[in-house]
This record gives sequence, structure tokens and C-alpha cells, in this order.
Amino acid sequence: MPHRWGMVVDLDRCTGCEACVTACHAENNIPTVGDRQAARGRAMHWIRVERYFEGVFPDVRVKFRPVLCQQCDAAPCEPVCPTYASHHTEEGLNAQVYNRCIGTRYCANACPYSVRFFNFFNPAWETPLHLQLNPDVSVREGGVMEKCTFCVQRITAAEIQAKAERRELKDGAIAPACVQSCPAKAMVFGDLNDPESEASRLARSPRGSKLLGDLGTQPKVTYLERQSPV
Amino acid sequence: MERRTFIKLTAVSGTGAALAGCGVSEPALIRFVPDETPAPGIAEWKPGVCPLCAGGCGLSVRIMAADVDTVRNGQRGVVRRGVAKKLEGAAAHPVNGGGLCARGQAGIQLTYHPDRLTQPIRRVGSRRDGQFEPITWDQALSELVSRLDTLATNGQVRSLAILTSGRPSHRQLLFDQFAARFGAPAPISYNLFDEPVVRRANDLSFGHDQLPTIDLARTRLLLSFGADFLGTWNSPVAQMAAYARMRRNPTGVRGSFVQIESRMTPTGASADEWLPVPPGTEGALALGLAHVILKEHLTSAPPGRAASLIDGWAAGLPDFTPEKVSAMTGVPSARIERLARALAGQRPAAAIIGGPALAHTNGLAAALAVNALNALLDSVDQPGGVCFTPPFRASVASRGGAPLSGGSAPPIRGTLQTLASEILSGRHPVEVLLVDGVNPVFAAPPAWRVGEALSRVPFVVSFGSFIDETAALADLILPDHTFLESWVDAVPESGSLVAVASVAPPTMTSLFQTRATPDVLLEVGRMLRQPIGLPWQTFEAMLKASFEALGPEVWSAAQKQGGWWEEPPAVPPTARPVSARLPAPTRPPGRRIAVSGGVPSFAPPEFDAAADDFPFHLLPYPSPSFLDGSLAHLPWLQELPDPMTSAMWSAWVELHPQTAERLHIQLGDLVRVESHAGAVEVPAFVSPGIAPDVVAMPVGQGHVTYTRYASGRGANPVSLLAPMVVSGADALAWAATRVKLTRVGPPDGRLVLFSTAGELRERPYEGPGARR
Repeated sequence: MPHRWGMVVDLDRCTGCEACVTACHAENNIPTVGDRQAARGRAMHWIRVERYFEGVFPDVRVKFRPVLCQQCDAAPCEPVCPTYASHHTEEGLNAQVYNRCIGTRYCANACPYSVRFFNFFNPAWETPLHLQLNPDVSVREGGVMEKCTFCVQRITAAEIQAKAERRELKDGAIAPACVQSCPAKAMVFGDLNDPESEASRLARSPRGSKLLGDLGTQPKVTYLERQSPV
Repeated sequence: MERRTFIKLTAVSGTGAALAGCGVSEPALIRFVPDETPAPGIAEWKPGVCPLCAGGCGLSVRIMAADVDTVRNGQRGVVRRGVAKKLEGAAAHPVNGGGLCARGQAGIQLTYHPDRLTQPIRRVGSRRDGQFEPITWDQALSELVSRLDTLATNGQVRSLAILTSGRPSHRQLLFDQFAARFGAPAPISYNLFDEPVVRRANDLSFGHDQLPTIDLARTRLLLSFGADFLGTWNSPVAQMAAYARMRRNPTGVRGSFVQIESRMTPTGASADEWLPVPPGTEGALALGLAHVILKEHLTSAPPGRAASLIDGWAAGLPDFTPEKVSAMTGVPSARIERLARALAGQRPAAAIIGGPALAHTNGLAAALAVNALNALLDSVDQPGGVCFTPPFRASVASRGGAPLSGGSAPPIRGTLQTLASEILSGRHPVEVLLVDGVNPVFAAPPAWRVGEALSRVPFVVSFGSFIDETAALADLILPDHTFLESWVDAVPESGSLVAVASVAPPTMTSLFQTRATPDVLLEVGRMLRQPIGLPWQTFEAMLKASFEALGPEVWSAAQKQGGWWEEPPAVPPTARPVSARLPAPTRPPGRRIAVSGGVPSFAPPEFDAAADDFPFHLLPYPSPSFLDGSLAHLPWLQELPDPMTSAMWSAWVELHPQTAERLHIQLGDLVRVESHAGAVEVPAFVSPGIAPDVVAMPVGQGHVTYTRYASGRGANPVSLLAPMVVSGADALAWAATRVKLTRVGPPDGRLVLFSTAGELRERPYEGPGARR
């Protein structure tokens, strides 16, 4: 059976520190756009931490929620793409083929999660900032849509390694950059087709829910709600 | 613009960007023979140490091949070599255990920053012009040496002053040793958000002159008085890791915590119970809780020395009945009683205090009250309680320890404020000033007149990699290697239950003509007319000597794993943690402060101005991205949305919706924030998580000069601070300033929010006053 990659985010552990956001920038060569472009809504964060205020002072609550591509099984971004740049892989990822993308931005309009980002310009890294670029990840050009890949380069590397060593992939052997960096270990990544994987186990938790799950997008990211004190 | 022109332009800029992206620009197509041969595409992971805060986290640095621009024999070209690509947390490190905060990960941009100084520079013209010229290392060192020689010849050795970050490390120790052997006063350290008050209180209460380590993983109920322990306070990554274990406790019981503060921090957002109290009344609440526990005989622990420091403890704290504390704090007395019973009933329970709770005139008294509460709960040096990281005994790098060799006494340090006032008054003329890793011109309150004082010093030397406000006043800048290019170490004073010292060799060869500051210091020491005779040739030799003292294998093992630490003891949950088994440290503290009139007892907080003229408390807080502003030059952190507001590239003032409505201020409106000390104009952010009489501003922006990314951006709330002092601890009470607000005008685009276009909701907060 092919793998079916999914993630579980434990909101009871997430502290909103945004280590995942920087980790994602470092791993995936996401450019910074500067204040002017950011003010026009062109900042790119494949993963972000949203905050939800509830109540009125002094009884205020805030809930953090890291939002990344939900890697939907019924992804609204895929059927709208005229060039099949946005497509579904065998392992269930919503992949983006940058070379096919012609920048219609239909996918971004179709995505209910606002996790697709358009390169309005060619990215620039002022020398020598370019030395930090990850050679495993291609740099996207202007006019191209980009998004979270679940760090497909890390998945592929681990799969190739396991195949070369003629062994099965172990649960927990793959950690996307956000999962790896999380100081509070709030995120778990794994194979949802393996009922014994930790991600599968946690995804079945009664605390689990899907973001905008009633849209029928069938996300592969499960959020575990915050708990109350005993 | 015509479509054709547009396409042409895109093509041109596209080619440029693609070339830049490959690191091969036009005149640099020559490829030199490399000195090292990293295999292309294969990553190598090397240990590192994060130097960005006092946490001392271990790093795992990903090294891969890249083409680096270089010059050989005057010919520009590229050479292939291994360079750092990504920083991750070292999985086995006892402080961070694999995690790494956003700041630490962005630290890689220090090495690759486009505005990094690439070689020594010397000021030309007056300080006001800010012009520098490049010079060679030989020229630079001989200039510094001749200045120091002149001091020695004229018998003015005490006119050398040194400013450092003061973080416990061998690097700091080297500066201490240099000063001691030269005959200069001990280096002075300054950090706006350092916690000297906690150290002082812990020294008085428990005999530990250090920040606490919370054994959160085993805590069932934690009370945090203002400590942003999941964000910026103390050792945040260690605390987040422990917090995660607390939430999914192996015993099956989910630990909970209560956050007491007047403005919601990200930590407050994660709390089970958020309890706002008026600024400066945290100590009263702690004593009120102790009162209830004492009165109802809920615990049996003898609180000992910590309690003996509190006035009226023996009488059962009669001044802190729930009713009286309720009147002071606005917390209903029933809630105080409930909290007290929960603390006594759900053990292990612990209390911590930090941040703004200590930055009031009564901060030390508040810390002592919390310490006494901990002692009453029997949570000091206990599983699930407040513990202390055992000292790294091999060396002297732990805060204030006895020197490795040489036998001089531990340094007695002055303060930045005293130094500045003595320079200005001429009482202590400073002829030469060395600055390493601090920017006091930016981070000290205006009344201290630090910039003016530094301008009066005839010769200022900075070791910084960037021209910040302090380095701009320097006569000579000797840029350091970054932490990825040099030997780096840290001896964290907290964050670990076992003794630990982080150390790592260089992960890559240096990109530019920079030199490691510790090695420069050692070389200067040798070049002096009367060499000061430090026993090490290099910083590496110093580290080696220190670690080898622990055992024959320790040094090589430490280099491989990024440090030395004790094996975590296999302690059953009921045993006392390791710090309790060690002999109580008897060493004298690094900064002994005279307490006039004994230990302060709790008194209502004092502020710099009356509420009639200045109706709001100003709460400056360490930015989750920039801490005290030292990281504002990193583009990743500038574009990182703030967790509470989603703001990027911005500074702002947070205010309560009611306050906003009353003053006719809406989200993004330009507001003038004015104190006795100064005024700034910043956009407003309306937030429900703040008391109506408090306004808060993140520290970090408002740099006059700090690279292309931070210069001239936003405003610096430190420029509003009055020089209020924490009573009994010679520290700045940075939360004791009052301000007034006036609306200046409509939004001018300075407040950049990610939420307006990038999130599921269009406004970060959709309540009253949040319209735009």
C-alpha cells in the first residue's frame, strides 16, 4: 500500500512561538518580500500561526492554530488548475509543479485555507544571503504559485534511503521542517495508511477535528483541541 | 507601461535574480581550486551553540557545498566549500532537546547578512559623520595595542572599560581575565531584559545567585507571575519542551498553569487561567495566597530562610488577607482562596516570577514573596518545582566563579548607569572602551545618557559584526567571526536539571576578513609592551583546558556532541532532583549589590508620574522576534508575523478596545505616546488582552542605524523610559513609566498585518475598536 502522509497538530501543546514558520522559510527557500510588498498582502508563509480571541477583558482567551496546507484528499485547488500544475500525488500530497504553473491563481482562489502564495516578482536574496538556500528545494520564479509540500524533499530522501538499505520506512523517520523544529513537539507527522503510526493513532483521538471540515475537503491535517484543567 | 516593455523588464530582472540566486555574478565566473572538497548534494551535520540569548541551546548545523564569492590574488571568482544551510536543535542536548526557537533558526542570517562588516574599519572624521575606512588587521591591532600601551605607561590602567553581554561563558571569562590582568575594572554587562532581580532574590532566599529552572514536566499546577516562559523569558526552548511534557504527562495527569499579568503574552494565551492584575501588585497576590495557605494550615513544610525575609510572616501575614489583597489587585477574594487551595492541594505546584512583575520599584519584594510561597509549598529543589541548574564545576565560566588560574578574586562589577554617570561627571575618566555583544545606546533609558557618555570616551572599540547605534560611535571596529565560523561556548545558568556546558568548533571557514574576538583579545594581550600573560595561545586552548579538567575523554566527546553534560539521573518521580544532591554553592555572587536598609518588604509600586497627567502604564515587552532589539536586523524575523498581532516589519502600541474607543483610536491609527522622558509616534493595535489602563509596546524596532532591514523602522519604547530603580536591587524598573496617548492621524501604512490578507480572518481581532 502506498503511504498516505498526514499530520496531527496538538493545540494543547502549541505555544504560538512560530519556530515552525522560520523553519519552513529556511528549509523551503521561501523569500522575504519586504515591508511594502508585505503591506500589499504578498508575504509568503507556507505555515502561519493564527490567533483567535474569545471573551472580553478580563476573561480573555486566545487560541493559537498553526495553519499550513491541509493536503486535502478532495482538494479544491486541484480541479481548477488548467495545466495540472496543482495535482494529487500517489502518496496523497497536493503537489505543485512549478514548471507547469502559468500563474492563473485559480488554485489560490479555490483554496479555503489561504495557504497558497503567488510569486509576484522573481525572488531576490541579497548577497551573500543566497548561501543559505537549500539545494534540495528549487527556487520559484515570478508568476508561479507555491505552497507547503509537507517537505516532500525530506520524504523522498527518507524513502530513497530506506529503499537503498532494503528496509521499511520507520514511523517517525520523516519530519518536515516544522515538525522537526517544534520546541513543544506539538506536531506529529506520519503515514495515515499505517494504523499503528503515531499520527494515525492521534488522528483518531476524540479531541481531533479538521479545519473547516464541513466543506468536504477531507484534510489530512488533524487538530487536537485544547484541553481544560482537570 | 506597455505589455512588451513589461515583459522585457521581467526578463532582464529575471536573469539578474537567477544569476544572483546561483551565487555566480558576471565578473565572478572564475572557479578557484577549493581547499576543501565537500561532496555536492550530501549534507553533513555539525554541532553548534546558539549565542542569541542566555539559553545556550545546542545546535545541529547542516553543512553543504556551495559556490562562495571570493578574491584570490586580486582576482574575483568563486570557490566551492562547505557552508551552513540550516540550524536545527541538537536532539540530545539537555537544554533544548531537538527544538529551536524562531530566533535561533534565523541566526544563520547573521553569517550571511548583506550588511555584515567584512574587515576591520576605522572611523574617519568626527563621530557625527559616521564615516569609516577599511584597514588591515595589522593596522587595527597595532592601533589598539598602542592605545593600551599608552594607558599602561601613564599608569591609567583603570581607564580601560569593557562592556559585555555578561552571559556566562568562557568568552565572558576571557574578558574578565583580560581586564583583571591588565588592571582594569571588571567588565560591565548590560541587558535590558536580563533578570538581576530574580538572581538577587534567589540568592537571598535560597543561596543560589542564578535564574531558576522549572521542572515543568512534573508540575501539576504552575503559577506564573508575569514570566513569559513560553516566549522570551529565561530559557524558553527548554521551558517549551518541558511544558509539552507537562501537557501530556507520563503519569496521565495534565498539568495546568495560571498566568498573572496585565497584558496577554503568548504564554498567557496558552494558560488555563489568565488572571490580569494591576501592574506592580503581583507580590501582594503572592503574599495573599501565602496568607490563605498559612491560615488554613494547608501545608506542613517549614519555609525557612525564604519566609524569614518576609515582614509579618510569623504573624500569618495579617496585612495580606484575601479582602485586603482583593482591594489591591482587583482579584475577588474567593478566587484568591480558591487558587491558594488549588496550589496547596495539587502538588507538585510551583510559582515563578519574571518580566514586568519584577520591573517595578517593588520588584525585589515581589520576587522574595514568590520565593517564600515556593518554600511554603515545599517546591524548591523538588521534582515538579523550582530547581537550580548545578554549576559547571570544571571551570570558572559559571557566573562569578573563581578564576581558572591566576588567583584573583571574582569580579565586582559596576553598572552601566554608574559608568555613564562617572564618565559624564569626569570622576572616572575612561580612555579606552571595548564593547562586545551589547548595544546600550539603543537599550538604555535616555536619562542615563549612555550615548553622550560613550561619545566622550576618546577611543571606543567594538567587536560587532554590524554597525548598530553603539558601534556607530566606535573609533575602531574589529568584526568578530559569527558563531558558525568560530569556537563558541555557553554555560547556561538555567534550563537544565543537570550541569551543562555547550561548546562547538567552527562549522565552516569564515566568509570574510574577520577574526574571532577571543583570539584577538589573546593576541592583543601578547602584543602589549608588558604582555598580560594569559595562559592560552588560542580560545580553543582555553576551552580545551577547561573541559579536560573534567576527565580525559571529555574534551573530544564535547566537541562531537556539542557540549558536556551530566547524564540525566534515572530519578523516580519522588526523589529529589540532582541539584539537591550537590553541595550548596558558597561562591560569592558575580554582582554583589549593597542593600541599604536590609531586605525590602512589599510596598505599593511607585511610578515616575502621576496618573492625572499620564493616565496609562507603559509596558515595554521583549519582542518575540527581536528580544531587546538585538535581532531586528534579520530579515526572516522582520517578516515573521508577531504571534499576538500578526504584525510584520512594524512597531505598534497595544491598547484596550474601551481605551481606543474613548480616545477615538482605531486599528492602525497613528498615536503619539508621550512620557516625561520622551515621545514616539506609532500605529495603534487594539487588543482585548490588555488592561484598560495599560498600553504595551514591543521593544526591538526603532533603530537609528542597524543594517538595511532595521534602520529607521518603527519606534523604540526604551526612549520613553524613566530611570526608575527596583528597590534593593540596583536594576532598572522598566515597567514603572507612565504615558499619555493622543491620536495623531489615520493609518499611514506603517502597521503591516499578515492577517489582513494572509489568514482565514481578515482582522486579527474582530471586536469593538478594531474597525479600519
